[in-house]
Amino acid sequence: MAVSLASQDTRGATLGPVSGASARSRWARLAGNGYVGAAAAVAAATALAWLVAPVLQPPNLVMIYLLAVVLVALRGGRGPAVAAAVLSVAAFDFFFVPPRFTLAVAHTQSLVTFAVMLLVALVIGGLVARVRHQVERARRRERWTAALSAMSRELGAPAPAAALATIAARHVREVFDAEVAVLLTGPDGRLDPSPAVSDLAGGVQADLAEHAVARGEPVGRGTPRTPTASALYLPLAGPTGPRGVLVVRPRRREVLATPEAVRQLETFAAQVALALEHARLAAEAQEARVRAETERLRSALLTSVSHDLRTPLATITGAATTLLDSGARLDAATCRELLESIRDEAERLNRLVQNLLQMTRLEAGALELRRDWHPLEEVVGAALARLARSLGTRRVTVRIPPDLPLVAIDDVLIEQVLVNLLDNAVKHTPPESPIRILATAAAGRVTVEVADHGPGLPPGEEERVFEKFYRAGPARRPGAGLGLAICRGIVEAHGGRIWAQNLPEGGVAFLFTVPAAPTPTPPLAVDA
Amino acid sequence: MPDPVVVLIEDEPQIRRFLRATLTAQGYRLFEAATGADGLVEVATRQPDVVILDLGLPDLDGLEVIRRLRGWTRVPIIVLSARGQEVDKVRALDLGADDYVSKPFGAGELLARIRVALRHAAGAAREDDAVFETGDLRVHLLRRQVFVGGREVHLTPIEFKLLTTLVRHAGKVVTHRQLLQEVWGPAHTDQAHYVRVYMGHLRHKLEVDPARPRYLLTEPGVGYRLAAD
Repeated sequence: MAVSLASQDTRGATLGPVSGASARSRWARLAGNGYVGAAAAVAAATALAWLVAPVLQPPNLVMIYLLAVVLVALRGGRGPAVAAAVLSVAAFDFFFVPPRFTLAVAHTQSLVTFAVMLLVALVIGGLVARVRHQVERARRRERWTAALSAMSRELGAPAPAAALATIAARHVREVFDAEVAVLLTGPDGRLDPSPAVSDLAGGVQADLAEHAVARGEPVGRGTPRTPTASALYLPLAGPTGPRGVLVVRPRRREVLATPEAVRQLETFAAQVALALEHARLAAEAQEARVRAETERLRSALLTSVSHDLRTPLATITGAATTLLDSGARLDAATCRELLESIRDEAERLNRLVQNLLQMTRLEAGALELRRDWHPLEEVVGAALARLARSLGTRRVTVRIPPDLPLVAIDDVLIEQVLVNLLDNAVKHTPPESPIRILATAAAGRVTVEVADHGPGLPPGEEERVFEKFYRAGPARRPGAGLGLAICRGIVEAHGGRIWAQNLPEGGVAFLFTVPAAPTPTPPLAVDA
Repeated sequence: MPDPVVVLIEDEPQIRRFLRATLTAQGYRLFEAATGADGLVEVATRQPDVVILDLGLPDLDGLEVIRRLRGWTRVPIIVLSARGQEVDKVRALDLGADDYVSKPFGAGELLARIRVALRHAAGAAREDDAVFETGDLRVHLLRRQVFVGGREVHLTPIEFKLLTTLVRHAGKVVTHRQLLQEVWGPAHTDQAHYVRVYMGHLRHKLEVDPARPRYLLTEPGVGYRLAAD
């Protein structure tokens, strides 16, 4: 890539020439230090030469100056070395070449000395400066490589794209001493205009970011098209498409001054893009797994629901059309029977729809708990009242201690749990088989038990019955297999637990816990 | 007595059809409206004895309809609402609706609610001096005596107040808020568990099986209803 700020390779990384108004004074100071150093070195060489002049021939004094030039080149780079060379020749002429203390030259022979001295000083200075620069570059490269591998290591761990962006921004910020922003592309491949991470003082220029993605190459600061932009916009191009844009605005102008530094930054960008690509692929794979699971559940739901919806609908349609077509020829008892089956099947449909709705709410996390203190007895009573018709003459024993503490529940939802458990017992036991409801309090919780005298659960299935679409036993029973799953959802939303256990005397008990009030019953002062 | 007039505000044609058949067969004169705005006009022009109002209307919020009706009439309002929308029901009742029926409902249930509403509208003035009786339960409001199956039951003053409040609304649902307001006063209207605890005490004194009450029925999420013949 071409960056206009990149200059000759030999330029010192910390001692570039001054350009640009904003950084001028700082640059002057920095450059000045090098040149002041050059002047000081020449002055020191002169002082040393002055001391040894009585014992040495003037040409030997040249060596002291050359030494000074080498030192300046080593420390200050090429510019100061050149300055030191010129100053050295001038100082040598002034102090040691007759006529002394003038820049005039008595013998043309001295001019040759000056020329050779200047040439040697320049060559040595240049060579030393170059060596110095190469060492520095090697060191810098080593630093970059270390930083790059540190970043790669961190980016290697699986993480969402935003977390990766934060890691990348931190590393780039440290290594390039820059303000950094990362923009990410969404699942649709379009760039999200608000950065995933940014400490860019002036904000991000959305048009430049878009541009970088569209062109697939860096734009902004220092690039041929928009060299005056404040930051550099590097596209994060993954193998399968753009993943985002890395925006870098160095705090010090010289940081991105060399093509090498820019190349290095591009390597960082490529690394980040790769990590983002991996994250994307991992997310897509996860999504595919979830989709497949959802699909499986959906088809199970459809199979189950379509059967459970069609059966009552078929009954209702059949009974209603019979009544319409031949109602006059049917006796009163038959008519009544048909009408009752219409009513019962409609009720069954209603329960199914309720369960489906409740399940959807639970799964969408849209279940709203409206908790308050309730006597359990009241909620049990409401559930029994709702199931009065399907319970018929069945014996239901309720044993709730009179001093049972209030429970902190959503009464509508816990009533639903009780209705589902009772309904379950009704469905899986013979019509006259008794049902028992028990409640006990311990350790801040009330445990409620609904037990039947039916065949019990197949051993080992005690946990599975709470799964969606589970049906116990070989016979197909009515119901979509949602009732117990809903119970579990509701009880767990209350912070409780629900489980099933086969009873030694036969039948199965479903137990669940709900939080209890701290005191047995909040007293009321108003009553006499 | 002329046939009672009912205004039905409901947007679903199928439900209107079934209610038309049911109500006219029972001798009610029915006027229908499919929107809240039309409903308000119907109520104003027909001066009905009962309004049946679906809460989910296309144009106006059912609660808004109740608010506007209560601005000028005490006509009994029975609300139709789905199960699972208890919050809306409570809001409707607290705004002045008299009762509710959860969809889907049987005709018998709605007719019972209408009969209760009509009875209350007609006999509101006489209720205080009467003796209330349902099943085995007998309440002498003036003598402050309560009998179950001929046996006198002693109630605390709060329990008696709670019971008489329910008696005054017999057959109608009463929200926790209404009970708190009438029994304990307006300072306690957000402490519904007071009501529940005392209702538990009442059940233990008045019901044969408190867990399967005959008289003091619970409407989960809404309130209570004293069963009335």
